[in-house]
Amino acid sequence: MNIIETKKLTKYYGKYRGIIDVDLQVEKGEIYGFIGPNGAGKSTTIRTLLGLIKPTGGSAAIFGKDITKVGPEIKEEIGYLPSEVFYYDDMRVIDLLKYSASFYKKDKKQIEKRIQELSGLLDLDLKKKIDDLSYGNKKKVGIVQGLLHEPKLIILDEPTGGLDPLIQQKFFNLLREENARGATILFSSHILSEVQKMCSRVAIIKEGKIIKIEKISDLIENNTKRFALETVKKADKKDFQIKGVDDLVITDHSVTFLYRGKINDITREIAKLDLTNISIEEPDLEEIFLHYYQR
Amino acid sequence: MNIFLRELKSHWKGILFWSLGMVGLVGSGMAKFDAYQSTGQSINQIMNAFPKSVQIILGISGFDLTTASGFYGLLFLYIALMATIHAVLIGSDMIAKEERDKTSEFLFTKPISRARAVTGKLLAGIAILAIFNFVTAISSIYSVKYFNRGASATHDILLLMVAMAFLQLIFFSVGAAVAAINKRQKTSASIATAVLLLTFILSFLISLNDKLDALKYLSPFKYFEAQDIMAHGHLDPAYMALSGIIIAALIAGTYYFYSKRDLNV
Repeated sequence: MNIIETKKLTKYYGKYRGIIDVDLQVEKGEIYGFIGPNGAGKSTTIRTLLGLIKPTGGSAAIFGKDITKVGPEIKEEIGYLPSEVFYYDDMRVIDLLKYSASFYKKDKKQIEKRIQELSGLLDLDLKKKIDDLSYGNKKKVGIVQGLLHEPKLIILDEPTGGLDPLIQQKFFNLLREENARGATILFSSHILSEVQKMCSRVAIIKEGKIIKIEKISDLIENNTKRFALETVKKADKKDFQIKGVDDLVITDHSVTFLYRGKINDITREIAKLDLTNISIEEPDLEEIFLHYYQR
Repeated sequence: MNIFLRELKSHWKGILFWSLGMVGLVGSGMAKFDAYQSTGQSINQIMNAFPKSVQIILGISGFDLTTASGFYGLLFLYIALMATIHAVLIGSDMIAKEERDKTSEFLFTKPISRARAVTGKLLAGIAILAIFNFVTAISSIYSVKYFNRGASATHDILLLMVAMAFLQLIFFSVGAAVAAINKRQKTSASIATAVLLLTFILSFLISLNDKLDALKYLSPFKYFEAQDIMAHGHLDPAYMALSGIIIAALIAGTYYFYSKRDLNV
């Protein structure tokens, strides 16, 4: 049984496109990436799954149950962390977490224990007022409230914004632990490297439609990087007649291009050039879409 | 239950301030009665010398201002206005706040249906209205007793508090329904308050102009007027029934629209 299954899930906001005919199958125990540029429909899909907004077409089931019919029951086993977190400013962290816990049927003592564990791990002060927290600390509250009931499905919508690298690392480790415990994870992001690190499969969404579902291993095989070289003398265009090179720009002392393919193939060619500098960067998703998924 | 308690907790400061305001209004209002009372009948003659329209606008027509209950009847107009403003704000705030403060994404990803959340919020709101009504009743009875040298007005006051409860519930439901239908929550409180003020002004216009009498059903303030209630010794059953229908319809609408629509997150 698939943990999440959508069939032609569609959402229009009046005349405006949200998502169109989204088909997703997230299997039990996998970490499923959901990637696309901003405004592509990632949050719309997730908010529809969570029942915050109502689909205008198609259907979706979580744990095999129709989301429009048994929303509250499904959510007993879902943990959710949005990209931007907002909580009741007048509450203290511990009150907020207890309020959050009060909605679940699970054993309160166990939840309490989990709250202590998680906040200890993330170094979160439970006595502070929500209003006094920095954005990163609010995000930590979000992580704890999303995981405190040990959900079977964890849904993350661009979760890493505002987290410093150290906490991000701890957070990813936490997710791996939850996954090892048996939790299924839907991980939405517009940062490819993040998804590559965590996920087994990834759905790529653009302008409201799923354009491709790939295994991460295939994505890595087709690793896309942006190269910027500074050369001693003007490079020859012929040197870059390699499969996978795109958007090639050569000037007197520089070469820039996008490369998708095995890294060894390209570094071997670059090694032949006389370089003064090199940078290899993760292209942003927009670029990848522009050059590889457009067609 | 958790939502109910949470709402009471987040509103307790508001309850306190509104209650203090009400005690102040009742206390200072009745303090003036002391002066009126000592003039004997002459104050009524002066008031009756005003044109009818001025009397209506001042809210003094039909009251014997030298008796405690008559004077309280005049004051009741302002008490009811304050109580209904409070009620309409509480009603819209209860429903609107999660979206306005962007906490709807937190609350409604918990295992709870929208209907259950609305129930918790409405019950909390009604509890707040009850507290406010109780504070008004107690402060009214005591401040009237303090200044009164004539017949007891307690029975009239209690009757008027029942009328006030109806008015509170009507406008509480108006506030809740507006917020349930409206998607831009920053405007809910203003829209609901505008509805309240329009019906309030309408009640004056109806009193001023006999031709508008048919419109009286549109203004709940016309359902429970202090002079009628005190003259008859009871509330008009037809208007009580009409109020019940209005409240039920608005509450049903609140559940229906809030459960059905997309939340603003």
